[in-house]
Amino acid sequence: MRDRSLWIGFLLALGLGLSIALTQTQELDPYKEAERQRELFRQTAGILPGELYAAQGEELFYAKRGPKNTSLEACDFGLGPGKLEGALTQLPRYFPDTRRVEDLETRIRSCMINLQGFRPEQITREDIKALTAFVASKSSEMPINVVPKTSQEIAMYNLGRELWFHRAGDRDMNCAICHDAYAGGKVRLSPVRSPRQGLSNEWPAYRFEADKLYTLQDRIAFCYESVGIHPPEFYSEPYIALSMYMLAEATRGKNNFTEMPGFTR
Amino acid sequence: MKGRHYIGLLALLLAGLTLSQGSPFQQRLQQAIQSGGSKFAEAMKQDPDQALCSQYRDKIPAALVGAFLERQRALIKYPADGKLMGDWKQGEALFTNPRKGNCYACHTGDPKEPGAGTMGPGLVNYGQRGTSEAVVKYTYDKIYNAWASMPCSLMYRAGYHGILTPEETAHVTAFLLDPASPVNAKR
Repeated sequence: MRDRSLWIGFLLALGLGLSIALTQTQELDPYKEAERQRELFRQTAGILPGELYAAQGEELFYAKRGPKNTSLEACDFGLGPGKLEGALTQLPRYFPDTRRVEDLETRIRSCMINLQGFRPEQITREDIKALTAFVASKSSEMPINVVPKTSQEIAMYNLGRELWFHRAGDRDMNCAICHDAYAGGKVRLSPVRSPRQGLSNEWPAYRFEADKLYTLQDRIAFCYESVGIHPPEFYSEPYIALSMYMLAEATRGKNNFTEMPGFTR
Repeated sequence: MKGRHYIGLLALLLAGLTLSQGSPFQQRLQQAIQSGGSKFAEAMKQDPDQALCSQYRDKIPAALVGAFLERQRALIKYPADGKLMGDWKQGEALFTNPRKGNCYACHTGDPKEPGAGTMGPGLVNYGQRGTSEAVVKYTYDKIYNAWASMPCSLMYRAGYHGILTPEETAHVTAFLLDPASPVNAKR
């Protein structure tokens, strides 16, 4: 008993010392700050917020829901019905049943509509986010493997590249002028990476600065918002196209996903 | 016969419009943008020079640069009283306000301001250039319309888009050039 409280005291002192040491550098290195915040969650809660979202998603995934009272176990993410291991690594891709190129979020939504019988307006963003976190958790740290092959996938990649260079809005922005031309720089404290450097490899992720789970679509929407462009409606083509472009480029750069869901600022 | 004539005309049209709004690819792009909803589509509308930058991936050919710069220079407006250097204190607020200049997202101004970005060149001691008419005008013009000196630069056209009025542009100019501004404080 006494040993244990000594041990806890030691850990607390260590934690305090560490956090004092880290406060000195937190302005300078956002990656270290994210790591520190992550450890604090581990210490105080024992579980990361992203893992909670994934657990919630797991429950939703196996629950019999919707007008057809079915689970999502028969949902095919491109590797066969119910195959979740590595599913995220090869999305977006073309699906003959919906005749659309779909990313993970859009695919989950299609399965909720087609398998469970939900009407689109009955599907909440929160459910999609939790389910996305769950399915993504089965691709933790795996190599990204998005290679556009079908004509639909290649067309989507080309659209994504065009949107990537599309300058618009009061801030005269496009994605490329920051993420390609100035990769390695910082906007405020945020490091800017190019797609080849693995931009997009941490989503879905818990953002501790927002205390929310962000999917890749949420993150793209946030990008548009921050440059003064009203973001597209969720599940629309601009998201699929940009995701296809970024993840195909990340594949060419031989990048892996981070732990899934990610943990970031 | 009539049909063939029609097809020939269509082919001509397509050839002429390949790089503009009318090409099948551009139509497909517009369709994708429309799928994002009307507010997104509205926000994604481009002026002709934004479209030119996109078309050439932000590196427009040398032959087009002269005319581009001229078009952009013609867009610069100046304060009614002709003073291009305003109040550096108001300039500082505009420099850091994310909804206005938002300059420190990319540039260090006052080195004491935490969390300045590094996308653009640091501006600490920018005022060492002095305050000659040429320096003041160059600085004002750069802030009002960055594309008038560098086509398709990351730096946006704050004055042209009305994010900074001519008077506000003069305030930011003063923040960079006024010897009393913290940008130029003796260190």
